[in-house]
Amino acid sequence: MAELKLIGFLCNWCSYAGADMAGTARMKQPGELRIIRLPCTGRVNPLLILKAFQQGADGVLVSGCHPGDCHYNEGNYYARRRLELLSRMLPAFGIEPERFHFTWVSASEGARWADVVTQFTRKIEAMGKMSGAEQGTPPAKASCEAGVGAPDEQTGSEDAVPA
Amino acid sequence: MSDIVSIIQRVLGEVDLVLGWTATGAGGVAAPDRFQTAAEAERAVFNATCVHNLAVHLPRLKDKTVGIVAKGCDSRSVAQLIQEREIDRDRVKVIGVHGLGGMIDVRKIWRLHGYGVPVDARIDSLFIDGREVDRKEYLRQKCLGCRDTVPVVHDKLFEAQGPPITGIAEAATVEAILPGTGLGASLTAAEAMSAAGEDESRPLSELFANMNPTERRLFWREQYSRCIRCYACREACPMCFCRDVCIMQTTDPHWTGAGVDAGEAEMMQLIRVNHLAGRCTGCGECERACPVGIPLMLLMNEQNQVIEDLFGYRAGTDPEARPPLLTFDIKGDSRSEK
Amino acid sequence: MRIGVFVCQCGTNIAGTVATDKVAEAALSMRDVLHAETLQYTCSDPGQRAIIDAVQKKGLTRVVIAACSPRMHETTFRRTIGQAGMNAYMMEMVNIREHCSWIHSDIDIATDKAIDLVQKGVARVRRQVPLYSTTVPVTRRVLVIGGGVAGIQAALDIADSGLPVTLVERGPTIGGNMARLDKTFPTLDCSSCILTPRMVEAKQHENIRLMVNAEIEQVRGYIGNFEVDVRKKATCVIEDKCTGCMICQEKCPGKAPDEFNAGVGQSKAISIPFPQAVPMVAALRKEYCRQFINGKCGVCKKVCPADAVDYEQVDEITTEMFGAVVVATGYELYDWREAYPDYGGGQYPDVVTSLQYERMLSASGPTAGHVQRPSDGAEPKQVVFVSCVGSRDESVGRPLCCSVGCMYIAKQAILTKEHIPDSQSYVFYIDIRATGKGYEEFTRRAQKEFGAIYLRGRVGKIYPSNGQLVVMGTDTLSGGPVEIEADLVVLATGFSAARGAGELARKLNISYDQYEFLSESHPKLRPVETTTGGIFLAGACQAPKDIPDSVAQASAAAAKVIGLLSRGEIETSPMVAAVDQLRCIGCFKCRDVCPYNAIEALELRDGRQVAKVIDTLCQGCGVCNVACPPSVVSLKGYTDNQLIAETMELLR
Repeated sequence: MAELKLIGFLCNWCSYAGADMAGTARMKQPGELRIIRLPCTGRVNPLLILKAFQQGADGVLVSGCHPGDCHYNEGNYYARRRLELLSRMLPAFGIEPERFHFTWVSASEGARWADVVTQFTRKIEAMGKMSGAEQGTPPAKASCEAGVGAPDEQTGSEDAVPA
Repeated sequence: MSDIVSIIQRVLGEVDLVLGWTATGAGGVAAPDRFQTAAEAERAVFNATCVHNLAVHLPRLKDKTVGIVAKGCDSRSVAQLIQEREIDRDRVKVIGVHGLGGMIDVRKIWRLHGYGVPVDARIDSLFIDGREVDRKEYLRQKCLGCRDTVPVVHDKLFEAQGPPITGIAEAATVEAILPGTGLGASLTAAEAMSAAGEDESRPLSELFANMNPTERRLFWREQYSRCIRCYACREACPMCFCRDVCIMQTTDPHWTGAGVDAGEAEMMQLIRVNHLAGRCTGCGECERACPVGIPLMLLMNEQNQVIEDLFGYRAGTDPEARPPLLTFDIKGDSRSEK
Repeated sequence: MRIGVFVCQCGTNIAGTVATDKVAEAALSMRDVLHAETLQYTCSDPGQRAIIDAVQKKGLTRVVIAACSPRMHETTFRRTIGQAGMNAYMMEMVNIREHCSWIHSDIDIATDKAIDLVQKGVARVRRQVPLYSTTVPVTRRVLVIGGGVAGIQAALDIADSGLPVTLVERGPTIGGNMARLDKTFPTLDCSSCILTPRMVEAKQHENIRLMVNAEIEQVRGYIGNFEVDVRKKATCVIEDKCTGCMICQEKCPGKAPDEFNAGVGQSKAISIPFPQAVPMVAALRKEYCRQFINGKCGVCKKVCPADAVDYEQVDEITTEMFGAVVVATGYELYDWREAYPDYGGGQYPDVVTSLQYERMLSASGPTAGHVQRPSDGAEPKQVVFVSCVGSRDESVGRPLCCSVGCMYIAKQAILTKEHIPDSQSYVFYIDIRATGKGYEEFTRRAQKEFGAIYLRGRVGKIYPSNGQLVVMGTDTLSGGPVEIEADLVVLATGFSAARGAGELARKLNISYDQYEFLSESHPKLRPVETTTGGIFLAGACQAPKDIPDSVAQASAAAAKVIGLLSRGEIETSPMVAAVDQLRCIGCFKCRDVCPYNAIEALELRDGRQVAKVIDTLCQGCGVCNVACPPSVVSLKGYTDNQLIAETMELLR
């Protein structure tokens, strides 16, 4: 079986720091998850998660500060609503809701982070890769390299300076 | 229909123009029109083919005072636009239509009787090519079990005095997406749907409910593979008022590429679902406008239901309400996550 | 575009599990990457110089550094590339240590992951644009929360530098727990002799405003400019009028528990906690006052010579601006009673906490320094100390060490012998932790000079028998059970965070741990900072600690505050939201969700209303970016395209 692709969107202040703490404590974790750092779960656009699934992610994990502990006071409350709605909509899009996990891990919960990663990875392992790809039709990838290209082609003067 | 004419003429005294219908569509069905003078308004009609949600034009007419004829469902769009501060309540006069007997599915008539066949679709009876038929057979699916018979916002009320509506509101039936049934669209790939062949009138949502996630993903890929990226879904939607800064057509942000394929179409619809969360009033115009018959309301209806379950909220039922995704509840959220 | 990738080996911390040369090699094949190298310690001076060299020689315009967590060294490397002449934000760190080498053992897995992460970093930095910070003026006034020794020290240090300080204390006096101690270890200095002059100094300092009976109600704003509501609780005493004559306390018929004396002895409904209280002002506790319970009494009002009693007084909320906040809320003793039924659960009067015993030893205490058993007032001859009650005890869910118990037991054993020369102390201990200066010697003295008998083992049960208490424990060194008949048992109870610490932390938006001790920003390198800029920690609110450590941390926090406010203005993060006004549709959903009211409406010349971000208010959470339908409100440094690119890159 091809390698699983798992993406984690973590808030900088709690969960990313919690993951750092797990690392500092050398808590071994499965190696599939790749972490993308964000300032806040309130910055997590549900579309980003859908895009990840569409592009072949087998699982997406979002983790932020516990309710009440948001570095920005309110960001995770907005995230909670947005992502709860998303997780309930996933079945309609044809994505098993179990492939998406949304949780809270604080900066001091290194052990909990290691546990979250391990359990999530094991769960997706048990589910296997997102099916559909092996049924003859390639996954519905966007044809162009979306998100890649355009903006940097028009970057500022700084890049125009030759070496 | 002299009533609607005189109401529009009266409202014209207060506004720059009124949005309504004239019987200028193929076979005499209704087509949207605008009236600026009493003379123009003489042509106005209101019948069971006035299916269009005219609220879609309001954001584009912000510099004018506008009258609009709105069915119950359309009025929710007006209310939602007011709530979103997109239009100014004081600059819109709503002629609410009350007591409809459900609207007619013109596509079905054309499918069964030929495009352009003369149609006389009154509120309580239906004549096709001069012969009366059972209008119940031709009611739009979405009108069955209508929850919005009374307009949410209105300045004038037009009593249509139609028969009561019964039944259960549904998205399209299976037949709507089967090969050869869509109007003017060449539907080629519907193998995924062949299993449903035994009953073409079976509601699509029922069939969809029985699919597993993989089947659904394949189902959507089938559906989206027909997309020609005409953006009719967006253009018909009263809530899609970003217009020329729509994120489906930009590289900043680059959510979708420029290609026309199932993948891009899927992303486009995911964007629409996402953007209409807590805003979609369920008018169904996106699905009705889709020239290739993609059952878009399957997703919208599902999301509206989830939002109602989660937050007890229906978009466009209260112009004063705080939309659920633009606020939060510290304690009382449905989410049980620790 | 010219990108350089630097892969840190961090000695063997990274290179032990990640094949860094392979990562660098893979990086060279990534789009626009024209330089890649491994560095042994990137954060070291040679490491940073190597980056600067490469930037200058190869004309790099963007840099990716694969090393430790950006939370550790992002600022370091921003400075580095700034020195190299680049915009400091044209650098992206990817975390291949905490999130990779340290959590994997398989080299292939870790290396693959590191390459993926570098790829992600390259994708992200390609979409980065130069960012420039702005500055905002700061309020040169400081809030210190908590008037214990740490709060006093911080307030005095800051006030001495010339900055005005408001010291807010919840209780009726400053002094905190230290004011309740008799002597301090290992010097046996009289606690109040060294503390009360500091308390008075704080009261009299021209730059310190003291607010007792006051609590933090709400905190808004951010580093440099916090807007704080303080609730001054009604005490029914007009502070300015009260002379501290204590006549009210003398005449008051309402009995009340004596909180200052840890429940030993009794106080009155209107009282001054102790004779050295600062400020020397009485406070009335309504829940014990007859005037409030029955509606008739009024004695204090009648007897007060200064006419300072006002039953109608109500809570007052004042709002003030502060540039920085020091939190010094301290600790309270762990409430052991429920968790230790085997020790009587609070049923036996002669089982007391260490703080109660401290009050019994104190000359200013309720027994005037005569040690008496609470049950019958007799002088105890056999005193048993039980260490680690509510500390180092997994069975009650408290594995943490109180860090001072071993020391104060030794102190109290010595003081016991001094007070009652024919007494015998026994100490049940787990380990003796005496790591401070002179501490080890001190515990030895308790044993050798003052004859305390130390028994290594836990106490299993305490029960009364013939007017005494039988303490059943084990002596793990001799290997047998021990039973000691005690006249008095002193429990060395552990530390809890002060009541309400978590709630305060939420108001301040700083983090705290499972015991509600407040979290420092970094355990080694930022021990007095919190994760919220401008808020600092001092003393036992962060973790149990002794007086010298609390004072040292308080001075450190003060130094941080003075440093912060000495600049007069501070740089704000440029990673804030920005609106593309040409494309803004004016729906103002961004304004609806902004937690900081940082978005306002702006009318363009064509009459269109568009959103505008107030840079100095925006904190960069990005909630608006998600709420914006056309996504034209963009969080700089975390734009949609950067996040999309990162995601896509990982799924290639």
